[in-house]
Amino acid sequence: MIDEHQAGPGRVSRGGLLKVAAAGGAGLLAARAGVAGAAPARRQAESGQLQVLDWVGYENDMPGHAMFAAYEKKYPKNKPKFTYMTNEADALAKFQAGLKPDIFRPYVGWTKYFAASGLVQPWTPSLISSFKNLNPFMVKAGQYQGKQYGIPDDWGFDAILYRTDKVKPKAKSWGLLFDDRYSGKIAWFDDIGMLTVAGLYLGFKNPWDQSDAQLKQSQKLLISKKHLVRIFWAGESDLWTAFGGGDVWIAYAWPNDWVQMKKKGLPVVYMHPKEKPVAWVGMFMLLKGSSRPKLAHAYVDAWSSVKSGKWLEDNYGYGHANVKARPSSSDLLKALRIANPRAVTLPNAYLDRDIPRRALYAKMWQEVKAS
Amino acid sequence: MRRRLDPTTPALLGLPLVWLVAFLLVPVGIVAAYGVDVLGLGPGPHAFTFQAWSDFFHSSIYLNLFWKSVELSLIVSAIIVVLAFPLAYYLALSGTKRKYVLLLLLIAPFLTSYLLRVLAWKVILGNQGVLNTFLFWTGIRSPDDPVSQLLYSRFAVMLVLAYIWLPFVALPIFVSLESLDRRLLEAASDLGASRLQAFRRVTLPLSAPGLVAAFLFVFIPTLGEFVTPSLVGGASGYLYGNQIVDLFETGFPDWETGSVLALFLLGVVAVLTLVFSRFLTPSQVATE
Amino acid sequence: MNDVALSRNGARLLRAFFALVVVFLYAPIVILLIFSFNDSDFPSFPLSGFTLHWYYEFVTNADLRNALQTSAQVAALSSAVAVALGILASIALVRQSFRAKAPVSALLLSPLVIPLVVFGTSLLLLFHAIGMDLGVTTVVIGHIVITLPYTILVIMPRLQQIDVTLEEAARDLGAGRLRTFRSITFPLILPAVVSAFLIAFTTSFDEYAVASFVVGSSTTFPIYLYSALRFPNQLPQVIAVAVVVIAVSLAVVVAAEVGRRVAERRLGAA
Repeated sequence: MIDEHQAGPGRVSRGGLLKVAAAGGAGLLAARAGVAGAAPARRQAESGQLQVLDWVGYENDMPGHAMFAAYEKKYPKNKPKFTYMTNEADALAKFQAGLKPDIFRPYVGWTKYFAASGLVQPWTPSLISSFKNLNPFMVKAGQYQGKQYGIPDDWGFDAILYRTDKVKPKAKSWGLLFDDRYSGKIAWFDDIGMLTVAGLYLGFKNPWDQSDAQLKQSQKLLISKKHLVRIFWAGESDLWTAFGGGDVWIAYAWPNDWVQMKKKGLPVVYMHPKEKPVAWVGMFMLLKGSSRPKLAHAYVDAWSSVKSGKWLEDNYGYGHANVKARPSSSDLLKALRIANPRAVTLPNAYLDRDIPRRALYAKMWQEVKAS
Repeated sequence: MRRRLDPTTPALLGLPLVWLVAFLLVPVGIVAAYGVDVLGLGPGPHAFTFQAWSDFFHSSIYLNLFWKSVELSLIVSAIIVVLAFPLAYYLALSGTKRKYVLLLLLIAPFLTSYLLRVLAWKVILGNQGVLNTFLFWTGIRSPDDPVSQLLYSRFAVMLVLAYIWLPFVALPIFVSLESLDRRLLEAASDLGASRLQAFRRVTLPLSAPGLVAAFLFVFIPTLGEFVTPSLVGGASGYLYGNQIVDLFETGFPDWETGSVLALFLLGVVAVLTLVFSRFLTPSQVATE
Repeated sequence: MNDVALSRNGARLLRAFFALVVVFLYAPIVILLIFSFNDSDFPSFPLSGFTLHWYYEFVTNADLRNALQTSAQVAALSSAVAVALGILASIALVRQSFRAKAPVSALLLSPLVIPLVVFGTSLLLLFHAIGMDLGVTTVVIGHIVITLPYTILVIMPRLQQIDVTLEEAARDLGAGRLRTFRSITFPLILPAVVSAFLIAFTTSFDEYAVASFVVGSSTTFPIYLYSALRFPNQLPQVIAVAVVVIAVSLAVVVAAEVGRRVAERRLGAA
């Protein structure tokens, strides 16, 4: 069953796939006492449905499967109402058009932007019972000027997936995506993240804030290697079709992609390049002027629980910020390096971050695609 | 016939014209406004400027993509007109009794779902698709050596577009061949011309308008195609239409540049239509 | 008379070529048909056994049913309006004389030559500018524009065929314009009207390009299809759907064409 609403031609990323879970997550945790323990300062009756702006796939509310089932159990009259965002720019456009959700989920690269924009307000971490179990590095990434603007939830890596039976990399490097020997067998991510990757490969100090000259160099590299690329993927299923069908042997990929291809019986390796992979983290943010902050905290609390985390990991192949959440799949555990909370940051990886000149990066990426 | 103030015509045409003005002309005008930054996506000051247009013409990248798409459309359109001509010729001039049935047989696929027919090719062309696994199964090729680069390539885009549009193209050519006065051919034969000569001197010239119309009926829509390229084109099959879509729909939309690209395409199409307008009369298109 | 255009051998050659092309056109559809019964998650050779499972899945798929329903509603509404507008325009173009006929018919037929990507984006900008929500309504609006030329192209020739003296006779007998239309003109053009409606309907039902821009968070059948095409595990189900939709539309097309010819022959041009 597809739970998918495509607003634009094929734009799905991050939360794009809903699978009917084989591993039924029966027996959900009831909401913890933690929320009741922190007495709210004002006893205001918050009413109505919680307005959530989220990526497709996170509205999963089938009985027994919901990542926020605990919330729904506690507040049956305030079940979440979903509007979909195709990406953060789309969310921004929706806010400008007058949409007023209570919560939305941008990714860590946009945290600073939204925090500084005045559109969001900080969370009160004490109201979230699982907060202390959340990966401290991710938590730090959700802070701005000392306040907690983003509560981390789902996460993963950007790294390289390749087939060991067809590919012999010269080095453990992002350069594999630019390897002339495998023309027509390479998949890039359809995103400005490729410019960042080019920057990492070229050894720039801060690929997220490249100078004009550096950007030109990165773009030049990408354009010169574009003829090697078979597909740009925007949604994971695009990648799985092409990779699983043997049309692609090397790909910019997330950990779950490795798990899925392994399930298909392909001999694959998920390589963390020496220039370091990038880690992405989804951050719940609370809109300023929300009339349901208490409910919002409860919702995020449900999402942050170990049970929810495990469900997410088992069914979506994404990591969950709660370090106590362990997936059933040992493959995923390995791919995500969950045992090491430091895996997402230096010296192991670069946490994705704000790109100050995003519009310029977007323009340069479009030119790469057009070339 | 007396000329009186006749409200009939405005009464009849009023609604259709208003609809088109409101939902065709005005939107295009808005696109033009975005292209010169009179309207803009974000808040902030907007002033009339040709900056986006100047960038478009100066940076060779988008123009090159346009020519790449033109080239692809030209090739596809030419191929299917060449393929469709003998089909229409057979139907119109061979005297077969069931010509309308056969014509329907030819055209019917065009009237079924576009996406589904693209799907059929996605299923057929992959490395593990119907074609390749059939070759493995029958031993013609080994499983280590599939016929690759079929899917996610410019070839795939051209093949699928040809497949989609071939039925559509047969119709105008058929119409123009059908209306050929047979007696001219008889006269040619009486005067001693061989069939080939008659074809070259009579049939071909007279059916040329139909051929031109057919060519344009395919060339123009395929110029802006983005659906087929996005499904089977991969990175190398990324065309001008896809670029326009991306500028409006991706992570950081650039409606100004997108509007310029869209308007440029519209301009080219308008010029083509005007230049070749005498070929594009309704009689070329109307079903009998 | 066919000897002047084609020799016997020439005809045979062309007939063979025609057959080849027809095979090429229908082969992918037949392949879909075969694999819709194939008991495997992915369409590839060798075949894995017969099953009706995918048809069952597709029938019980609520999302898919909703998408089909939405598309049917959009198509019905937009076709009805397009046909109505098309009748009005056709009458004006055929029966009325006025100076601006060329530019007017150019405008009315212009959607035929506008690249859908341009039209789609222009509608997106329009609705954004007037603050209208994207959804089923906006799709209907777009589809009316796209299908209007088709309705005109189908109804106009039929109107031209009808002897105008019939209408004049009715007027002489005292019938008003509307009455004349209802009793004389409309019944005679009815086959073309039905045909126009069906063409508009199938065009709208299948339309993806414009819908992709203005459908918002609603789902029409092509929108659903496009998403499904990216999910490999949905593929067999989608193939089953494909077979059904193609079969139905082929049947409709054939029936419509046959019906129209029969009806027109019976009604005659008088």
